[in-house]
Amino acid sequence: MASQANRYDVIIVGAGAGGGVAAGVLAEAGKRVLLIERGRSLSFEEIGRDHLRNQRLSQHGHNAGPDIVGNPRVSVDGRGRARTIRPHEGGYHNNAACVGGGTRVYGAQAWRFMPQDFRMASTYGVPQGSSLADWPISYEDLEPYYERAEWEVGVAGDRAAMTHLPSYRRDYPMPSIPVNQQGRVYRRGASAIGWHTLPVPLLINTTEYNGRAACHQCQHCVGFACPTDAKNGTQNTLIPRAVATGRCESVTEAMVERIETDGAGRVVGVAYFDREGTRTEARAEVVVLSAGATETARLLLNSATAAEPQGIGNTHDQVGRNLQGHYYPGVVGLFSEPMFDGLGPGVTTATCRFNHGNDGVIGGGMLADEFIVLPIIFQKRMLPPDLPKWGAANKAFMRDSYRYISDIKGPVQDIPSPEARVTVDPQVRDRWGIPVVRLSGTTHPETVRTAAFMWERAKEWVLASGAVKVWGKPPELMLSGGQHQAGTCRMGDDPRTSVVDAHGRVHGHNNLYIADASVHVTNGGFNPVLTILALSFRTAEHIAQSW
Amino acid sequence: MLTAQQTEVLQAAINRIIPPDESPGGWDAGAGDYLLRQLDRGGDLSHFAEFYAKGLDALNDEARTESWAAFATMDDAAQDALLARVEADEVTAKWPVEPSVFFRRLVEHTMEGFYGDPGNGGNRDAVSWQMIGFEVRG
Ligand SMILES: Cc1cc2nc3c(=O)[nH]c(=O)nc-3n(C[C@H](O)[C@H](O)[C@H](O)COP(=O)(O)OP(=O)(O)OC[C@H]3O[C@@H](n4cnc5c(N)ncnc54)[C@H](O)[C@@H]3O)c2cc1C
Repeated sequence: MASQANRYDVIIVGAGAGGGVAAGVLAEAGKRVLLIERGRSLSFEEIGRDHLRNQRLSQHGHNAGPDIVGNPRVSVDGRGRARTIRPHEGGYHNNAACVGGGTRVYGAQAWRFMPQDFRMASTYGVPQGSSLADWPISYEDLEPYYERAEWEVGVAGDRAAMTHLPSYRRDYPMPSIPVNQQGRVYRRGASAIGWHTLPVPLLINTTEYNGRAACHQCQHCVGFACPTDAKNGTQNTLIPRAVATGRCESVTEAMVERIETDGAGRVVGVAYFDREGTRTEARAEVVVLSAGATETARLLLNSATAAEPQGIGNTHDQVGRNLQGHYYPGVVGLFSEPMFDGLGPGVTTATCRFNHGNDGVIGGGMLADEFIVLPIIFQKRMLPPDLPKWGAANKAFMRDSYRYISDIKGPVQDIPSPEARVTVDPQVRDRWGIPVVRLSGTTHPETVRTAAFMWERAKEWVLASGAVKVWGKPPELMLSGGQHQAGTCRMGDDPRTSVVDAHGRVHGHNNLYIADASVHVTNGGFNPVLTILALSFRTAEHIAQSW
Repeated sequence: MLTAQQTEVLQAAINRIIPPDESPGGWDAGAGDYLLRQLDRGGDLSHFAEFYAKGLDALNDEARTESWAAFATMDDAAQDALLARVEADEVTAKWPVEPSVFFRRLVEHTMEGFYGDPGNGGNRDAVSWQMIGFEVRG
């Protein structure tokens, strides 16, 4: 039984993108909030600059959690073989586990989805075997909240260049990051073939903003923390705002085990293990799940009750299905002029010409240049396939070409499959004894066709920009999820085909909400975080207004 | 953890994977230091320690079978040719570990030691970064 001290208005599970925003909005609206995060609050120094252990290259570990020991998952391959894997290994589909979640170490690309991204089924029809659907809300519904995210978290961009979107009501609070050498070459190349380009909007301060410094254009942006704290995540914006109200209690290293209900199946709070391993119960009027697309689904499935024996919100077997992320087809080019000038974060230039309206494929995606590539990542992932893997030739190529090589790639609209899914494993448990995530299935084959189309467009752009040689693997069928994971508790009006309603409320419950990437019906042809942030502003505002 | 002879073989192999030229070779740049540190107890490759010991012995056996010389004493061209055969699993000695798997790992870890950050124990004074033109400015 929870004591009086453990009673709150709202409990939020997970202090990442969605959870951080919900905490800020609800605490400022006067609610008493408990924000529970399984990871720690990580300093710049703790995250460090280890090139072999970070959220970009997790060769022997990573830098933003979860702990390597005690947090396994199970991954099932195409032939039904199950493997138990650790968080830094391939197939785990990790994002991060710390205060800020993915936003602590992300690349900070800040894309709005396009109006068509909310109407995929009615625009393209539903291919056989896919669960492609329209969102119950439109771009217009989300637009004011995109604007809030851009201003309250802080985005640098140029609205005049966003010609693929309806015109903005308000400009970005900061100007775009200055174009660097590769960006100049790609802009020139695109204009030679008549493609419109635009500066990539970033959740990075290009001027002093919100009391923090501007970006110094360092070389360790994506996968690391910012040395000047110019990268905006929830850890340095909405979460401090929540705490500053005096109404938000934030607990870290606390793992939520299950959602608690009363005898009638009504949600009353959560049970979690604190950092000493003590099981604690906390009660609230409203519970918001923001644990990310894989862990939110796990939590619902692990919270079966007599009223909902398949897991909370899972009466229609929808929780955990339609897992999406992004294929990221790309092409690497060797140029005769230098592409590298060392100015981070590196990504400056994109095209949205191919997000929609492509002949013969469903959807499409944005293409952009790349963050600064660390030398070891370059060696592991970017060398031409015909180069010897070792010896004098390999070394000479590294020496001569590192500054002359660059790639174009981008996230492709995932065409969802109900078989791409999160369940809980019947045997494997984590260090608290909680059944772990089990991942199985693949995306729908239509995704691969769209990705192959975008791969060709990437090649076209690299060649038009003057590359003398290009390479890169064409996409193959696989499970997508990873750092862009989404879709496992999607929004909809019909409880038989969705998990939450248009306000993020779990069907059949009046006080259980989801505010993270799980609710995305489709995941756009863009990096997803601005949509996650915007939706959370909208959901949290709705909760605050409803009582 | 590795014997003196195994370390000698390791040094010679690392210097063929990243040969010295106008810039330092793999061994001088500390790729070996990285590897030895990771193979040691508590290191992230400690589970490969025995695998490495066996692979390095087998590589030396392969050299002896072929040319009656220790691997480390062969000339560069002969070492390169032998490593290429190991990479292709074309071996004559008895290997307790799969030759190509051993060599692939050795290459991978050598690259990590050479191109990774100096904090990992290799890439002394960031020599590889200077060589390719990666500068840390902020
Ligand atoms: C290296 C990297 C680069 C990226 N770059 C970009 C980019 O440029 N643009 C972009 O749009 N996106 C980017 N992303 C993705 C982006 O960070 C995610 O889409 C976003 O953070 C997801 O938000 P979320 O709220 O769904 O979950 P998260 O941010 O993952 O937050 C979930 C939080 O819940 C916590 N949690 C989970 N389970 C429990 C539990 N049981 N109890 C307590 N706490 C729990 C987790 O520890 C985590 O902190 C990047 C991610 C990474 C890692």
